[in-house]
Amino acid sequence: MVFTAHTKIREEKFGAVIFETLKEKIFITNRTGKDILNLLQKGSTLEEIVDTLVNSYSAPITNIRNDVTNFINQLKDNSILTR
Amino acid sequence: MDLINSVTFKDLKAPLFIAWQINSECNLGCLHCCEEAGHPMPDQMHKDQIFNFLRQIIELKIPYVALSGGEPLLHPQFFEICEFLRQFNISLKVETNGEFIDRNLAKIFARLKFRSVQISLDGATKDTHERLRLRGDWNKTVSACKALIEEKVNTEIVFVPTKFNIHEIGELIDLAYSLGVWGVYTGKIMRIGRAAKNWDILCPSDEEYDVFFAVLNKKIAQYDGRMKVYYYPYDVIEELKYRLRYPSASLLVIPNGKVKLIGPLPFICGDLRKHSLIQVWENYKQAWSNPKVVEFAKKVIEEPWLVSEANDWIELYH
Repeated sequence: MVFTAHTKIREEKFGAVIFETLKEKIFITNRTGKDILNLLQKGSTLEEIVDTLVNSYSAPITNIRNDVTNFINQLKDNSILTR
Repeated sequence: MDLINSVTFKDLKAPLFIAWQINSECNLGCLHCCEEAGHPMPDQMHKDQIFNFLRQIIELKIPYVALSGGEPLLHPQFFEICEFLRQFNISLKVETNGEFIDRNLAKIFARLKFRSVQISLDGATKDTHERLRLRGDWNKTVSACKALIEEKVNTEIVFVPTKFNIHEIGELIDLAYSLGVWGVYTGKIMRIGRAAKNWDILCPSDEEYDVFFAVLNKKIAQYDGRMKVYYYPYDVIEELKYRLRYPSASLLVIPNGKVKLIGPLPFICGDLRKHSLIQVWENYKQAWSNPKVVEFAKKVIEEPWLVSEANDWIELYH
């Protein structure tokens, strides 16, 4: 999974801003979203991201996998990540 | 970890977008120019001040910059500025009349991987375009589009409807598609600068706008999925009403380094020759709740002709 060419990400106190500058669309995410974005930027796979988050959050792995999958799908639907 | 909507511009550590009028010099004398561009501004930022500003853009991780003018390609440091920003992977758009863009310049835009080059084309025909854009050359502008598209530069066309050209919107969109442009942008003319002085001969009637929107909507449907045709939905007063409630996370920088709160208002919230960019951003955040600004903006909403005073600056911070 790769970020599209015109996507810019900036960390903020609340999490991160994602700016898809070609379509001029702005998205906001919280700190967990920011952590996922950082992992995606490092080239982590879905399972690697889930494994990392399981160690940080006291939630069942199935819930974490669902949440991460949904988040990644939102990024793809909004042309932030390539499919 | 969802994408969320509860954040406002005040929560951001820096702007997300800089609209930078790098000069006021222009080779044309367009009747509808909202900047009254033509001659250089006497106190335009010099090279050291420009690069000081650019370094702050990088430090603050501002993701997206649009360069305009005047005619930005007349600025002596235009390509140095572009090279600098692209070196740090800032998304970059330029708004130009296109008249200086030949194959060689198109290759430079391609190498620098601009987000887009946005060209003002105000007619589907030479006569119409040149009646509005005095000293303009329609052939050069269309050639610029072709050169950019051949070099695979993301090319956009901007069309401002006036009494002179409003009837050509359909043909213009067809022309844009035949050229292979990425998108056509249009929106109501703003009553600022030279456009304000020529308002009576420029501003289309309601009936002309009705026909315009009918054609536009047809073209939007016709090119759906093939070419972006975008109408900016707010006129200057609607924009002001909206921005009073939801200010944007962007700064409008004029050639002398002063930063306007928003195009239709005269308020200046900082000077990049004297203030740091982060200070200007903090000023900007506060300025939107400054009673002087709010009161004046409400007055403009009631009496739209006051927008014509938008270039008579009022400094909020010295």
